[in-house]
Amino acid sequence: MNFLRGVMGGQPAGPQQSGAETIQKLCDRVASSTLLEDRRDAVRALKSLSKKYRLEVGTQAMGHLIHVLQTDSSDSEIIGYALDTLYNVISNDEEEEQEENSQKEAEDLGSQLTDALINEQENITLILRLLEEFDFHVRWPGVKLITALLKKRCGPVQGIILVSPMGVSRLMDLLADSREIIRNDALLLLQQLTKGNAAIQKIVAFENAFERLLDIISEEGSSDGGIVVEDCLLLLLSLLKNNSSNQNFYKEGSYVQRMKPWFEVRDDNSGWSAQKVTNLHRMLQLVRVMVSPVNSPGAISSCQKAMHHCGLLQQLCAILMATGVPADILTETINTVSEVIRGSQDNQDYFASVNAPSNPPRPAIVVLLMSMVNERQPFVLRCAVLYCFQSFLYRNHKGQEEVVSTLLPSTIEASSITAGQLLCGGLFSSDSLSNWCAAVALSHALLDNPAQKEQLLRVQLATSAGTRPSPCCSSAPTSSPRAIRSSAGPSHQNVSYLTGQISENQGEDERLVQGLCALLLGICICYNDNSLENHTKEKLKQLIEKRIGKENFVEKLSFISKQEQYSRAAHQPQPTGPTPEHMLFDHQFTKLVKELEGVVTKSVYKSSEEERKEEEVKKTLEQHDSIMTQYKELIREQDAQINELKEQVVSLSSQSEQMKRTVAQQVLQIQQHRDQHSILKLKLEKGSQQAGGQGEEAQMNGLQREELSRLREELQELRGRSARLEAELADRNAIITSLNSERAQTVNGLENNAETLKELEALRSRVASQSTQISQLQAEKQDLLKTAAQPAKEAVDPAASDLQSLLTAQTQESQRLKEEVRRLAESGAGAERQLASANSSVAVLEAERARLQEELAESRKEQDDLLMLLADQDQKITTLRSRLKALGEPIEDEDDLDSQDQGDDDDDEPDDD
Amino acid sequence: MAYAYLFKYIIIGDTGVGKSCLLLQFTDKRFQPVHDLTIGVEFGARMITIDGKQIKLQIWDTAGQESFRSITRSYYRGAAGALLVYDITRRDTFNHLTTWLEDARQHSNSNMVIMLIGNKSDLESRREVKKEEGEAFAREHGLIFMETSAKTASNVEEAFINTAKEIYEKIQEGVFDINNEANGIKIGPQHAATNATLSGSQGGQQAGGGCC
Repeated sequence: MNFLRGVMGGQPAGPQQSGAETIQKLCDRVASSTLLEDRRDAVRALKSLSKKYRLEVGTQAMGHLIHVLQTDSSDSEIIGYALDTLYNVISNDEEEEQEENSQKEAEDLGSQLTDALINEQENITLILRLLEEFDFHVRWPGVKLITALLKKRCGPVQGIILVSPMGVSRLMDLLADSREIIRNDALLLLQQLTKGNAAIQKIVAFENAFERLLDIISEEGSSDGGIVVEDCLLLLLSLLKNNSSNQNFYKEGSYVQRMKPWFEVRDDNSGWSAQKVTNLHRMLQLVRVMVSPVNSPGAISSCQKAMHHCGLLQQLCAILMATGVPADILTETINTVSEVIRGSQDNQDYFASVNAPSNPPRPAIVVLLMSMVNERQPFVLRCAVLYCFQSFLYRNHKGQEEVVSTLLPSTIEASSITAGQLLCGGLFSSDSLSNWCAAVALSHALLDNPAQKEQLLRVQLATSAGTRPSPCCSSAPTSSPRAIRSSAGPSHQNVSYLTGQISENQGEDERLVQGLCALLLGICICYNDNSLENHTKEKLKQLIEKRIGKENFVEKLSFISKQEQYSRAAHQPQPTGPTPEHMLFDHQFTKLVKELEGVVTKSVYKSSEEERKEEEVKKTLEQHDSIMTQYKELIREQDAQINELKEQVVSLSSQSEQMKRTVAQQVLQIQQHRDQHSILKLKLEKGSQQAGGQGEEAQMNGLQREELSRLREELQELRGRSARLEAELADRNAIITSLNSERAQTVNGLENNAETLKELEALRSRVASQSTQISQLQAEKQDLLKTAAQPAKEAVDPAASDLQSLLTAQTQESQRLKEEVRRLAESGAGAERQLASANSSVAVLEAERARLQEELAESRKEQDDLLMLLADQDQKITTLRSRLKALGEPIEDEDDLDSQDQGDDDDDEPDDD
Repeated sequence: MAYAYLFKYIIIGDTGVGKSCLLLQFTDKRFQPVHDLTIGVEFGARMITIDGKQIKLQIWDTAGQESFRSITRSYYRGAAGALLVYDITRRDTFNHLTTWLEDARQHSNSNMVIMLIGNKSDLESRREVKKEEGEAFAREHGLIFMETSAKTASNVEEAFINTAKEIYEKIQEGVFDINNEANGIKIGPQHAATNATLSGSQGGQQAGGGCC
């Protein structure tokens, strides 16, 4: 530290002397005290002196402070003081002195102290390690100190952090700190850290910086957010600018899509604070960084695609057409839209389709062009519109054609304003900037588009032949070699005007005009097809030699590229300049000049002899070329044919492969169907053997039939028994009637029996219907059998050589088979349905039968009752008889009757149970 | 594009072993025969499918030169997978593997999946390292191994995809803490997979089934 004292020595004596003494004492205490508290107090005191006595504290205490950082890291308080002290001596943020001199001195002091600190790499590593301490009193001054060090000595400190293990990663972790003040200061730190260092930028991006920053931006309210949003945007810009790897990562991570909501600008005019304007500027810059013309074409186009796809472009166009947008935001938005659409056909098409919300709706392009040729609009806005128009036409033949077509007399409509009208108006306006803008705009409508050049040539010759030379030369020419050749060619006036301009010895101001005239004349020579007798190459060259002199001509020609504005325009496609007077060259024009300068010079110097030879060589070469081209064409065609054939072969073989598979599949299917058929047939046959019907069904039917016959038998029996009973009853009734009045009961019983009989009758009719159903089913089964018996036709013809026809046949066959199978399935299902209904009627029948049986039981009970009754009556009869006997009446046959009755009952009993 | 998971990879190994070529072959399906020295780190990305799930791979291709070593170390921590590449025609690149592995193990999270790759398998005539040696090294250190050729694209897809499979399995086993992005894994926005494919033969079988 001694050298510092030497450098900074010679300070005036006085209070500082005592300050220095105090500091020395404090330093001694820090170095020698064994008690932590003493040391802490001393460092605290140093901190309080550090702003006022930066030099003294810096030079005397730095070593001690670093030692504290190394040894006392367990006490966050003392570490905090030490870091604060270091921060205070190194940064001069809160410098009180206002004098420029002392300010500079303070700057120097900070830088020298920084040098002293970073001289030992270990010191930075030490501070980085301390940042892992979560305590606010350590982390916050730590962040500030590193930021200050980076501000003073960016490159070296970056270098040290880069090689410290996990250095960058640790600093990135600070962004996740929940305490906003640390997170916000970490943003400032990272801005310094990433400044101009691609390696660090990439590591920061790798550590998920994009995700975190975009999160913070949306948390803070996007463009409505405060300076934190701006800090995030600045950091994003620093990470992406000129870093293609990070741009690629940004795009691949779908972060472009997350920019869209930033530009959802509401239509209320209230919310345009200065911070919001700044934020939006940064956001627009960020979009432009991603699609900047200096990026690689592939990267640009994929970003442009993403921006259109996610709606970002649409959002930007909405801002263009919104009301109440500040002019500078509008200008920057136009520039941004320019670069988003530049060279991308889809985006250009979309842009062409945007309409301004006016009545009637006008294309946005027209509305913008109106601003471009309007003198009262701000200069930068007009330049932006020009850039936008150029970008719209860049590599956009469709757009070029549309613009040029509005210039053609046949298509101009009187009712609406067109781009062509506005450009013409601009060309002939009294405002020179309008002339220039319109001319450049028009030249871009022709750029790399010979067809449109021809079209426009027609128009200009027809409308403004007389007035052309002056606007053509005074504004940067709308150079198209072919157009100039054919327009300058025919007019002798034009050529002499040009030679006149070049040969005159004019002042500095006219040098550019002379240069441009020389260029024009040169173009007339280079692209001359010698079709005009008065102005062949040879004659124009002679003219130059005689009137101007070759050397003089070439010197004049070189005037163009010596212009200051020329080099600026050559730098980037966006037209910029401090004032309208600076707008002389268009980017594309500078490219053209660069290309032509050499060509023109060469052709002017060349003798006619050489030229002729060259011409001949060229001709033979061209012949060669044409032959070669022919052959190449032939080869290409053959190549194409071969490729086509190969493709055909591949597709055919794959087709045949597929067909083979299909055939195999279908053969299998057919086999399956056959199997199913034979199974069906078998079943049907079995069914018919069992009096028709298939398997289960037949069985069911059999069961039913058995049931029915049993029922029938039972009914028969019942009927027989009833008849017998009737007969008995009739007998007995006759006896009873003859005997006593109680036989009425017996008559009732008989009536009951008649009811049972009626029910039996109904049952019988049901059974009859059942059997008709069964016979129906049987008939259907017969049908089924018949259909199934039809033999399936032969599906595969193995002998067939043509795969295609075979396949078709088989497909049809299988189709038909499938159809049949389906039909069979359907009729099978029908049969099943009928079977089900039959089953249900069987169930009904069975229920009926149960009821009948119940009734039977009932009637039997009644019969029993009757029998009892009969027994009673018998008893009575016997009593009566015995009484008659007693009375002496003779009786006949009654015993016989009695015994017969008894025997009948005995017979019945076991049968019923 | 929606993805189920995002994995971060790094490619490491001596200079000139073909790290950038492997990446280029994987992302762009092309081969660049001229050796263009990588400065620092370059980035590439591609989508793959594993187990019916879309997985996005973000790959950082590092410089092999010693002077960039300190920079490339910063990338170990946040990576879920690493391709450690040597050149089968240069034994020294194989000999340096231990150093690379130590470096990787020291700075990465312990679950990082490392795939050992012997590149330039198309140059069989100039081979200096036998395939068995690579296999043995991998076995010894618990790595997956493969020989690839960035020139012919042989095994290149497999190298990247198998590494992803290994990571995916580790996720399924719950080894990785997928909520910590510092592990180099990120869960994508939820998306439902659709798999409604009907083969033509099914219709025929259904018609046959109705018959019985």
